Amino acid sequence: MTFNRVWPRVTLIAAVMFAVPTASRAGGVGFGEDDANSGDDGPSYFGFVREVDGPGVADAKVTAALKDRGALVTRTDILGVYKIPGFGKDINPDDVIISCAKDGYTEANVLRRPRDNGDTKDPIEVECYLKRK
Amino acid sequence: MKRLLLIVAAFVFALGQASAGRAQTLAGLVTSAEEGAMEGVLVSAQAAGSPITVTVVSDEHGRFRFPDGRLAPGHYALRIRAVGYELGGPKSVELGTAATDIALELRKTADLAAQLTNTEWFMSMPGSPEQKRPLIECMSCHTFERIVRSTYDAEAFFPVLKRMAQYANNTTQARVQSRLAEREVHDDLVRKLAAYLATVNLSAGTTWPYKLQTLPRPKGRATHVVITEYDLPRKTIAPHDVRTDAQGDVWYSNFVENFLGELDPKTGAHQEYAIPVQKPGSPTGALDLEADGDGNLWLAMMFQTGVAKFDVKTKTFQMFPVQAALDNNAAQQSMVMPRAWQVDGKVWSNEVAKQSILRLDLKTGAYELIDPFKFLPKGRQHAPYGMAADWENNLYFMDFADENIGRIDAKTGVATIYPTPTPKSRPRRIMLDDQGRLWFTEFAANKLGLFDTKRESFTEWDVPTPHTYPYDVFMDKNGELWSGGMASDRVLRFDPQSGRAIEYLLPRPTNIRRVFVDNSTNPVTFWAGNNHGAEILRVEPLD
Repeated sequence: MTFNRVWPRVTLIAAVMFAVPTASRAGGVGFGEDDANSGDDGPSYFGFVREVDGPGVADAKVTAALKDRGALVTRTDILGVYKIPGFGKDINPDDVIISCAKDGYTEANVLRRPRDNGDTKDPIEVECYLKRK
Repeated sequence: MKRLLLIVAAFVFALGQASAGRAQTLAGLVTSAEEGAMEGVLVSAQAAGSPITVTVVSDEHGRFRFPDGRLAPGHYALRIRAVGYELGGPKSVELGTAATDIALELRKTADLAAQLTNTEWFMSMPGSPEQKRPLIECMSCHTFERIVRSTYDAEAFFPVLKRMAQYANNTTQARVQSRLAEREVHDDLVRKLAAYLATVNLSAGTTWPYKLQTLPRPKGRATHVVITEYDLPRKTIAPHDVRTDAQGDVWYSNFVENFLGELDPKTGAHQEYAIPVQKPGSPTGALDLEADGDGNLWLAMMFQTGVAKFDVKTKTFQMFPVQAALDNNAAQQSMVMPRAWQVDGKVWSNEVAKQSILRLDLKTGAYELIDPFKFLPKGRQHAPYGMAADWENNLYFMDFADENIGRIDAKTGVATIYPTPTPKSRPRRIMLDDQGRLWFTEFAANKLGLFDTKRESFTEWDVPTPHTYPYDVFMDKNGELWSGGMASDRVLRFDPQSGRAIEYLLPRPTNIRRVFVDNSTNPVTFWAGNNHGAEILRVEPLD
């Protein structure tokens, strides 16, 4: 593996490490954080959006969609990294479709990396490639 | 020609002078022994028996001046606001037909704590952000002065907090309302908060064990303003959402009583329209007040459930209570969004107890329950709150308990969730402008936000003063944002292009919820209610 290929992955891992999972809180009167981890979380989705054979694409829209049911939408950071917190554990990750978009580009390819083990909470890495129109 | 111009100019000047001479002008100088001439002192005048108080702010020379003709002849009580000071005198003035010039002398206050805003208490109190964060809930019902002047230790605080948690959201000190459905509260969190509060109040001594911090007085453009307060006739009235109509009349929702209020800002005349009580014994009052395309007004009826439509011509209400299958003691509708009901005959609302969206079919009167978070992890708290509908009646809403903006497609009912860039932001109220831009506040993150519905992208701005906790925001015709909240007693005017901010200090402790800008005036006029102070507030910038 060349340095040029290693560096983006190191950056990605660092970026995702700092993207701390967020805790929510009760509505109405709340006396503090009481549900930081619900135990019902499915896997999150993360990765790069990049140009084909090129750099990461900043400010690209990334959608994690459940056909006809709903979607989570975010945008990539300056390095082209995104992280989507994920759905509930009752959602089959195979039903989640990751796509990316940005003005001036078309989506070229989406590459989902196979997960190393059977832990259903392990984040799923999905790279999305764009090509210029 | 030049001579003619000079004559015309002299005539115009003379006319102006004559006009000024007839006006009932009150002007003066503010000084103190400590500072000499003082900038940024709010000077308020209220005529005897009048519900209207007018406030101006002293300039860099300590001079203040009420707008010509704004004060009629009569006897006026005077008051000031300048943190650290109180008015030595004079405390009243008699205005006749001639201009009046007075000298106000300020002296140091012996009770600085009585003057602190919630923001200043946040700044003063020791503790971590995690310890202080729960206090942002307290502001819904009372100021922090009530907490910090208490003498409870942690053990004594515990039952107090448990009791308060069972009050309805629409509670004020003037009108406490209890929930019919018990709210679950975790004792360990209550104990943690009780222990913290006992370190910042007077349980260990007669003075606070920390230095009281204050914000600076207004300067420069923040002094170029006229503020008008309209006292409402009962202390229990809690104006929550305020807006003007095409005639310039002011309408407001009363958070704790079943009335819709109307105010004539020219005269101060006030009128109330009783909203039929749907659930006797349940907390009364309404929250969201919105106008539809016909100019009729809609109210979200909180624990009275459902929504109400007020026909502005016939002055009558049409009630839309939730159907029995959705009703229980916890049922609560805080929001209503009728903006585009003509598209499909549907009005949006929310069901706070079920963390869901409601959609009312106006033909049948039935509500459809939509859970926009059903595919997200269970157990996380959500709260659909501020709402806006686009011209196809697609709904955008804030997830106030979490960190999301949501969109529900009007045709398919499918929800799309957009997490805000800042975690734990708790987005609150919202405004959709004509360019499809959603302007919103991130209450817990202390930020203003923009969500571009076309690009599906966010922009965020920190508000200039920490611990402001903005409740709502409004984009005016000039591209400037106006915001307010429950903490700082200030109205924020913010230019998102330049980042320039002006904060107008308000004359009294002011608990602001919904904000509204009347774009028909020049300059624009800002309106809000003082939810805990039974007053309507108008802010007129002078530039």
